[in-house]
Amino acid sequence: MPENETVAQLGLEEYKYGFITEEKSFFKARPGLDEDIVREISAHKEEPEWMLEFRLEALKIYQSKPMPTWGGDLSTLEATLNEIYFYLKPQERMERSWDDVPQEIKDTFEKLGIPEAERKVLAGVGAQYESEMVYHSLKKEWEDKGIIFESIEDGLKKYPDLFREHFSTVIPPNDNKFAALNSAVWSGGSFVYIPKGVKVDIPLQAYFRVNAERMGQFERTLIIVEEGAQAQYIEGCTAPVYSTESFHSGVIEIIVKPGARFRYVTIQNWSSNMYNLVTQRALVHEHATMEWLDGNLGSKLTMKYPSCYLVGPGAHGSILSIAYAGDGQHQDTGGKVIHAAPHTTSQILSKSISKGTGRATYRGLVKVYEGSDNAKSNVECDALLLNETARTDTFPYIEIEEQSSSVGHEATVSKIGAEQLFYLMSRGLSEEEASAMIVRGFIEPIAKLLPLEYAVELNRLIELEMEGSVG
Amino acid sequence: MGKSAVLDVERSYGYGREDVEARSQEEPGWLRERRLEAFEVWERTPLPTTRSEEWRYTDPKLLKWNAVKLADGTDPASSADAAEARVAGKDAAGTVIQIGASAAEFRLDPELAARGVVLMDLSAAAREHETLIREHLGTRAVTPESGKFAALNGALWSGGVFLHVPRGVQIEHPIRVVRWIDEAGLAYLPRTLVVAEDGARVGLIEEFASPDLEEPAFSCGAVEIVAATAAQVHYVALQRWGQGVRHMSTQRTIAGRDAKLDTLIVNLGGSVARVDLMAALEGPGARSDMLGLYFGHGDQHFDHETRQEHRVPHASSDLLYKGGLDGESRAVFRGLIKVFPKAQRTDAYQTNRNLILSRTAQATSLPNLEIEADDVRCSHAATVGQLDEDELFYIMSRGIPRREAERLVVFGFFGDVLDRLPLPDVVRELRAAIEAKIG
Repeated sequence: MPENETVAQLGLEEYKYGFITEEKSFFKARPGLDEDIVREISAHKEEPEWMLEFRLEALKIYQSKPMPTWGGDLSTLEATLNEIYFYLKPQERMERSWDDVPQEIKDTFEKLGIPEAERKVLAGVGAQYESEMVYHSLKKEWEDKGIIFESIEDGLKKYPDLFREHFSTVIPPNDNKFAALNSAVWSGGSFVYIPKGVKVDIPLQAYFRVNAERMGQFERTLIIVEEGAQAQYIEGCTAPVYSTESFHSGVIEIIVKPGARFRYVTIQNWSSNMYNLVTQRALVHEHATMEWLDGNLGSKLTMKYPSCYLVGPGAHGSILSIAYAGDGQHQDTGGKVIHAAPHTTSQILSKSISKGTGRATYRGLVKVYEGSDNAKSNVECDALLLNETARTDTFPYIEIEEQSSSVGHEATVSKIGAEQLFYLMSRGLSEEEASAMIVRGFIEPIAKLLPLEYAVELNRLIELEMEGSVG
Repeated sequence: MGKSAVLDVERSYGYGREDVEARSQEEPGWLRERRLEAFEVWERTPLPTTRSEEWRYTDPKLLKWNAVKLADGTDPASSADAAEARVAGKDAAGTVIQIGASAAEFRLDPELAARGVVLMDLSAAAREHETLIREHLGTRAVTPESGKFAALNGALWSGGVFLHVPRGVQIEHPIRVVRWIDEAGLAYLPRTLVVAEDGARVGLIEEFASPDLEEPAFSCGAVEIVAATAAQVHYVALQRWGQGVRHMSTQRTIAGRDAKLDTLIVNLGGSVARVDLMAALEGPGARSDMLGLYFGHGDQHFDHETRQEHRVPHASSDLLYKGGLDGESRAVFRGLIKVFPKAQRTDAYQTNRNLILSRTAQATSLPNLEIEADDVRCSHAATVGQLDEDELFYIMSRGIPRREAERLVVFGFFGDVLDRLPLPDVVRELRAAIEAKIG
């Protein structure tokens, strides 16, 4: 049965991504952050002057903005940020052939199953190790159709005009403190361009790995989907388990032009010592569709609210979010939809599971500006609590300025029902199996939208987390 | 005197310590102390701004709290008839009529008085029922720490109403309180304390009314309601101020074991109204039904902040707030269900529905949940929508003109709030008031 096979190939065990590869970096900046570090990063990347200026300006904004007081507990983050490495270059240049990637890094990604996946199901793969993309490739048939899938640095070098036209237009540095930080020290990430009318039916993937201790990863991704084009992009994230805290703060900007369709999938499985504070936003034009599929399983604290700015008439945004908060984890996730044009529609579906001392928070905003005639939005949040120390919160914001709009929000909180358990156990399942099955059923509406390999991985992860959760 | 005196005035924004002392001249020493303590909290609490989450959508400046001066005694004769008309012909076990900041007039069914029911001025009660007032006034429900304006009320309240229903006494008809003002430029600080002992039953309808005023007036109220074991209390706040009045009210209800403590908060009048209501469920088996109804027109601004605090297991609460918004009116609803650790078997629901009737009206809804126990049933829902064209079409196809069809749909919208209200007089009044507003 193919499903079992895939599970075996993935070789999942309890946080199997926690292994450490010996650190052999090509260049490592000193820990902490100041103007010199920013200049160093820019120099290493041989950037044009405007980008250096952009970074320096962003650094000032970062330094002037206070730490957010809402969301998760950021009280020790300041100290963490003073100690981490903001830039770590693992090899001299990025490779196009897997054989040229240094052995240790290659071994790491082999363990993560990336080359295997590339051969089988992906149109293109990018792999980021520490601060830089170490490998980027795109299948020739897609390259021939004019698709660009490069590291963000190469995007800037090879397509300077296209890059500059769109970069930072969706998320300016002053958007929030961490967007400013990313703008100052960004490194790695993808530059994706899907030309007009081109439809890619299998996903592009980027894989992010942090290996070094006390590391900060600041990937930056810019995706432009031209008129009528269609594509999807998947990112996965893992890191080893260290006793010190690490930090990941990405900025993802997506422009979906008229009639285009784009799906961005995240399976975040950082180790439990990672702060994960990400800004993801899509600008969705006339009759275009943007779908965020956001799975948050790992990290110590995640604060991430993928957003759709519906700026063209008939635009549609969809955010599907699934969060699993285990012991000591806080998943502060959700989504944001801004309706700024008539006949725009959106949907947010959020499912969270809290276990042990885990805390899952849904935080979301639906805003309908005046003039967005007949805008429609529906938000649904369901939370499942697996034991009495688990916690869940729901903080939806609904701001409506348009009479002809219709917006609804619903949320439920429940535990696994005794009747459901009894029914399944009367069919011969153990309590543990029955609980796992109920949880799988709970996340099913989202899991079924994932490509098979990821759905299997998600289910398997949830099942592992469920082990020993009963009694 | 120099600089420090100026600073003091700035910090207290026109409300001075000497005002507190003047208010408590004839009150016992302990009460004066409490007022002064509350005044200190008022002085040291920074003024909220829209940067704080609670005030994000309602700028405290809108309340004009510092553009008015403290009201102190009005000629009650001037408005007696208008105020009296509010209770005339309605079933009531007792009435309280307060005009401006003057001493209120209390009437109570003598039979109830004989059974130990107390309905009297709060200041006087502090002398005559010291133990009760000391125990409940500003200690558990609305404390000075409940908020900047709760502290102001705690320091400077006047025209307070105290209702005490002894153990086992069940009062059939509601008590009606009318608070009438007719002078602009002033700040009024009404306070209401209701204590229902074990197994007691009572309803209290508090109405706020005034003519339209040219200049702002500020009503800064506090409502404290305590229901002991198996007591049943129904509280209704009918806010029907005229134009110009700014309404701020801090309300806290505490429901003990098996108590039923229901509230209905109605906001129809005033220019700006903010109600901050917390229902604490402190005994197993306690239940609170929380209803809200608002209808805005012109540039009215309503803000409802609610909290359902489940601190013990086996309690339930059910909130339903519905509002219609016409003209350029604006409504904010921010609700929280908070389930504390170990408050297992909690049932808590929260629903806010808004009907937008004009292009320029706005609604903001923030129904929040914070759940720290696992064996609970909690849900919330919020909607913002317009009149349903299909419903209108159906009614119009029966030969009813559009305007009339709209009225019917609006009434249908408010129907489930009104249906849950066991006070026929109030339902009739509300229907008439909504009708008048739809116009």
